[in-house]
Amino acid sequence: MTAAPIVRVLVATAVVVLAAAQINLAAPISQVAPGRILQMALEAPRVIDYEGTKVLTVLRGGRTETITVAESHKRPAAMRLEYLSPEGLAGRLIVDDGTVTWHYEPRLNMAFEGPALAGQVQDRDLTVLLRNYRLSALGVEDVIGRQAYVIALDPISQGVRRQLWVDRSTGVVLRTEERDPSRGVILSAYFARVSFSLNLPEAYFQFRLPGGARVFKMFTTEAGSMSPAALQARVRFPVLIPPVLPEGYTFRGGALSRFGGLESVHLRYSNGGNLISFFEAPAGSIGWPGAGQPVTVGGGPARLVDLGYLRVLIWEQRGLRVTAVGTVPTVTLETVAGQIVAGREQALIQDVSRRVRSDPTTVRTLRGEGLTFLEVARSIALSRRLGTDLPTTVRFVRGSLTAGDLAGQLGMRPDALQQTVQGAIGDAGGVPAPATVR
Amino acid sequence: MINHHRAGHLLSSYLDGELLPEEATAVQGHLLECAACRAAFERIRATKGLLGELPVAEPPVEFWSTVREPGPGRPPAARLPWPGSIPRRRVAWGAAAALAVGLVLALTPVIKGTVDRLHAAEIGVDLYVREHAFGMSIEPLADRGFLGVVVGDADLVLAGEPSRAGGSPP
Repeated sequence: MTAAPIVRVLVATAVVVLAAAQINLAAPISQVAPGRILQMALEAPRVIDYEGTKVLTVLRGGRTETITVAESHKRPAAMRLEYLSPEGLAGRLIVDDGTVTWHYEPRLNMAFEGPALAGQVQDRDLTVLLRNYRLSALGVEDVIGRQAYVIALDPISQGVRRQLWVDRSTGVVLRTEERDPSRGVILSAYFARVSFSLNLPEAYFQFRLPGGARVFKMFTTEAGSMSPAALQARVRFPVLIPPVLPEGYTFRGGALSRFGGLESVHLRYSNGGNLISFFEAPAGSIGWPGAGQPVTVGGGPARLVDLGYLRVLIWEQRGLRVTAVGTVPTVTLETVAGQIVAGREQALIQDVSRRVRSDPTTVRTLRGEGLTFLEVARSIALSRRLGTDLPTTVRFVRGSLTAGDLAGQLGMRPDALQQTVQGAIGDAGGVPAPATVR
Repeated sequence: MINHHRAGHLLSSYLDGELLPEEATAVQGHLLECAACRAAFERIRATKGLLGELPVAEPPVEFWSTVREPGPGRPPAARLPWPGSIPRRRVAWGAAAALAVGLVLALTPVIKGTVDRLHAAEIGVDLYVREHAFGMSIEPLADRGFLGVVVGDADLVLAGEPSRAGGSPP
């Protein structure tokens, strides 16, 4: 046999093997609805213990970093992370008992005590997530020898696309991938090894302070959540509320942050999959950072610090230093910042109250609850159409109340509610909208 | 009258004019009668003359600090009469010191504010990124392993440790 026929046989064999592998990868798409798979993934931490070795690859300051961590989870919200690599991280220990988090650095013998990091998912999270992402089932794949449902979450407005590999038998997310449309994959994580149903001991999630360790208490934020109006009563500087945000982002909570002499207001907005934070502090209490590159916001000087996965935009207005942090495109941060810098709060209150035929006081009150102007207009219009009170309507608009629950309360069919909602969205047309926010 | 022993002890003070008038009169009377004390008086005067020709040495700085701040158990320095006996240079130094203290007190809030501001600028991004990461921890899809890296790195910077180096070109 000459060499050429051997090569042809090998190539043909390879094609057959690859085709077989392809067929296996493209296994019949599961009949389980993607929403049900997502729900399984979100509920899994409440019902199962696991421990495994996870490999993370994350964009960090224009470079990628690969991190290996031994991750243990005890239901419902205890967590232990022991970092194995790279060298600079090796030995770092994070122990979260569900109430407080301890972070220990053995090379420095330093321990940091802070708030819990392993938060529990609430029903509202799923509601907001499902409103703002298109879910699709991509099939079933093998991950470390286990069958996993593959689902994709595509943001309805622009943003980060996620893909999850959800263990078919436990619901634990075995692999994740986050893809930024402009930068490609910004974070991927997968278990290289995992064990389930271990009934891990409580003691494993209790931190024991090593002898001689220096302890730093890092509770920089007051517990609980406050509205912008409540925060305004606590600070001596004006609290700025974003007038417009990308579609789907809604107020998630506010807090007062204190570190040394620096007092800042922290406002959080989320679309269920991504978070944008705004920090506001008197300009006199914080200078410009040395890091980052100079940019302009609303014609004024600003600074953009691209940390990779996270982007930070800093600008100054009305004697305040405002900092926005998020995993959104730079242009989104700059557009949102430009809307805040424009400082048309009073003019917009008058404009929106005229458009939705409401009194300015109501609009101002809803703004004080952290709603964007579009959410204010939609809440008022929907409240009028449904005959519901404003607090209930605001809960629905923010995702604290599902469409099913509201329809049930009103004795309406869900499709009828959907039509009414669409009508209310039409009524709110013309209000500063996220069309300008990419 | 004054005896020989007592007069011998007062000769140096008599020479320096430090005795009370009645004591000086008594010593002077004794010197007229006592040859030994007159001889001793002349030796003391000659010695003091020689000492007066030596250059004046400035005391070390530590000396003044020990004089001005008596330690525990040490008797406080005698109060000096005011103002005639205080040299002008000391008054000038005292005024300058008071002015310096006043300036420091007046500028302390400004200096502290500037230092705080610079420090806040230095740690501001890390502080806010840390707060943001805690905010992300209640997002349903956030990866806790990644949040541990973000929070841990920020903790170290806030504690005054240098930022962690790392990452590799994509």
